Amino acid sequence: MIICDRLTKTFGSIKAIQDFSLEIPDGCIFGLLGPNGAGKTTTMRMLCCLIQPTSGEAQIDSYEIGKKESAQKIRGMIGLLPEVPGLYETLGAYKNLDYYGQFYGVPKQRREESIRTTLTNLGLWDRRNEPVGGFSKGMKQKIAIARALIHDPKYIFLDEPTASLDPAAAKIVREYILELKNRGNTVLINTHNLTEAERICDQVALVKNRIVKVGNPKGLARGLFARTISITMQKIPPSLLKDISSLDFVSQAQIKGNQLVLNVRDPEVDNPQVISWLIQQGVPVQFVSEEEHSLEDVYMKLIEEADG
Amino acid sequence: MRKDLDEFKKQKLVIGSIIAMPIVLGVVLPLVMFVPLVTIVPLERPWDVDGLLQIGNLPDDGSVPWTNQTLENVTFNQTVIKNKTLKNVILTNCIIVSCVLENSTIRDSSVQNSSLSSSSLINVTVIHSKGSGLDGRSILAVSSDLMFTKTKPSEIDQVLPLMFNMVLMIFIIIPATLPTIIATYSIVGEKNNRSLEPLLATPTTDGELLAGKIFSAFIPSMGSTLLAFSLGVTLLDVVLVPKVGYPLLPNLTWILSIVLLAPTACLMSVLACVLVSSKVSDVRAAQQLGGFIVMPVVVLMLGVLSGFIFLSPIMIVVFAGLFGCLDLGLFYFAKAIFNRENILTKWT
Repeated sequence: MIICDRLTKTFGSIKAIQDFSLEIPDGCIFGLLGPNGAGKTTTMRMLCCLIQPTSGEAQIDSYEIGKKESAQKIRGMIGLLPEVPGLYETLGAYKNLDYYGQFYGVPKQRREESIRTTLTNLGLWDRRNEPVGGFSKGMKQKIAIARALIHDPKYIFLDEPTASLDPAAAKIVREYILELKNRGNTVLINTHNLTEAERICDQVALVKNRIVKVGNPKGLARGLFARTISITMQKIPPSLLKDISSLDFVSQAQIKGNQLVLNVRDPEVDNPQVISWLIQQGVPVQFVSEEEHSLEDVYMKLIEEADG
Repeated sequence: MRKDLDEFKKQKLVIGSIIAMPIVLGVVLPLVMFVPLVTIVPLERPWDVDGLLQIGNLPDDGSVPWTNQTLENVTFNQTVIKNKTLKNVILTNCIIVSCVLENSTIRDSSVQNSSLSSSSLINVTVIHSKGSGLDGRSILAVSSDLMFTKTKPSEIDQVLPLMFNMVLMIFIIIPATLPTIIATYSIVGEKNNRSLEPLLATPTTDGELLAGKIFSAFIPSMGSTLLAFSLGVTLLDVVLVPKVGYPLLPNLTWILSIVLLAPTACLMSVLACVLVSSKVSDVRAAQQLGGFIVMPVVVLMLGVLSGFIFLSPIMIVVFAGLFGCLDLGLFYFAKAIFNRENILTKWT
C-alpha cells in the first residue's frame, strides 16, 4: 500500500506539489491526471526515491521514502517507466533488458526466461540483437515497459505509458496494464489520456500542484454534474420548453435540435413521470437516454475551478 | 560497467582512436626519437676520470719493474721508495720509482716506471707506468697506460636516461588523458540521452554506480596503454640492443611506472572526470572541464622534461602513492556529493 501524507516538493520558489495526501490500495490502478507542470512526475519521482520531499511523508509497504536506508528497498519494489523510454540506443533489446535485470539482481536463468518470453510476446525475439535506436517509438516504449517489469515488481509506476503509441499498440499496453492488476500488482499511471484513465483506472486523482479531487472516474462526474436526460422527439412543440420547466422535478430544460435535454433530481424516479407527461401532451417520444459526463468534462471543469 | 563497455564496443571510431593514440605516442614517437640517436651518437666509452690529464704515450719497452722487497700494510709519508712491491699501503707525498703497487692509496705523489693495480690515486703524477683497475682524481699521466674502473659515461649513456624519462612520461600522460572523453560523458551523457532516470531508479547503490562508470573508462584506457607499452618496449629494445649490447627495457623504473604510476594517474583522471560529469548538465561543459583534470600529470611531465624531477624508482613509488591517496580521496568525495536529485533535476 502506498500512503502519502502532505507530501510537498518545492524547487526554489516553485511549488511543484504541495500537501499531496492519498492512499493507494494494493492491486489497484491509480491514475494521476493533470496538465503539464502539475507535479505528477515530481510526485512519481519522490515515490521512487529519486528526489527528496521538501516536507510531508510517504510510505510504500511501511518503508518510508526520503530515508536512505529505505530507498534501496523501495527501488527494488518499483518498476519505473519514465516519460522518455531512455533505452541504450546502441545496444539490442536483449541487452537493454538483461542489464536492468542485473541491476535489479534477477538471477540469470530467470532473467533469460523472462526476456525471451517478453520479447517473443512483443514480436521482437528475432530482432533482439539489433540496436534499439533503429526501432519505432512504439517499439521502444514497449521495450521500456518490459524493462520496468523485468524484476516482477509489486509496484509499477508508468509515466505516460501510451503517449507515443499508435492505437493498436496503446490497446496492447492498456490490456497489459489490466493484466498486471489481475496479477495483484499496484499500478500508478501519470496520464493526459483521459479516455485511457477512464477505461483502466480504478481511482484517479486530479492534480494541479495539489490534489484537486480524488475518486473513481464515474463517481467524480456524478458528484460534479447534475444527472441529465435527453429525450429525442419527432417534433418539439414551441410551448413545450416553458411547460416542462414548470414541473417540480425538472431543474433545468433546454432544446438541442430535436432533443429535449433535462436536468432532473433522480432519473430513476422522475423519468417515468416525464414520459407520462409528454405522452399526455401528445408529443411522440422516440428515444430516452441519460447523458453521461466524461472524465474529460470532469477534468476541464475541475482544472478550470482550480485555476480560479 | 559491462553495459558501458558494451556500449563502448559499438563505437568503432572511439575504439580506433583509443588504440591509435597510445600507439602513435608510445611507439611511433619514441622510435622516431631513438632511431636517429643510435645512428648518429658515437658508441665509444672513453676511459677517463675527473681531472685526468694525459701526456704522451707509454714507450713500447714499458715492462713490470724488478723488485727486491715486499711491503704490506704500511703507511709512508714524504718518502722515496724504489724497487719495492707495495700491497695495501697508504702513500702521501712520496716519490715512487720502479715499484709494483697493489690495493694501495696514493696521494699528492709521483709514480715513475711502476706498475699499478686496483689502487686509488689522488693528485698523482704518473710517468712511464702502467695501471689497471684504478680509481682516481686529478691525475697527470705522462707516457703511461692507465685503466680506470670508473669510466666516464658515453654520450649515449648520458642521453638515454633522459630520453627514457621523456618516453616514460608518455606512458603516464596517455592513461591520464585517454579516459577523459569517456569518463566525462559517463553520467551527463546518460542524462542527456534520458537513460539516467531508469538507471537511478534501480536499487544500485551510489558506490556501485560510480564504480561501474569509473572502471568502464579505466579498463579500455589502461588496456590500450599496456598494449602500446609492450609494443614500445619491445621495439625500443630491438632498436637499442645492437647499439648498447643488451636489452635496456623494461627496467625497474619502467615496470614500477606501468604497474603503479600509470594506473593511479589513469584512475585519478577518471575519478575527477566522473565527478565533473555528475555535476554538470552538458556534455561539452564536462569535456571542457575534463581538460583541466590532467593538470597534476602535466605538472609532473613538465618537472621531468625540465630536469627538475628525475623518475627514479623511489620517485615513482612516491608519486604513485600520492596519486593513490588522491584517488581514494576523490572516490569518497565523488560518492559523498553524488546526489540523484541534483543529477536528475538540475539543468543549469
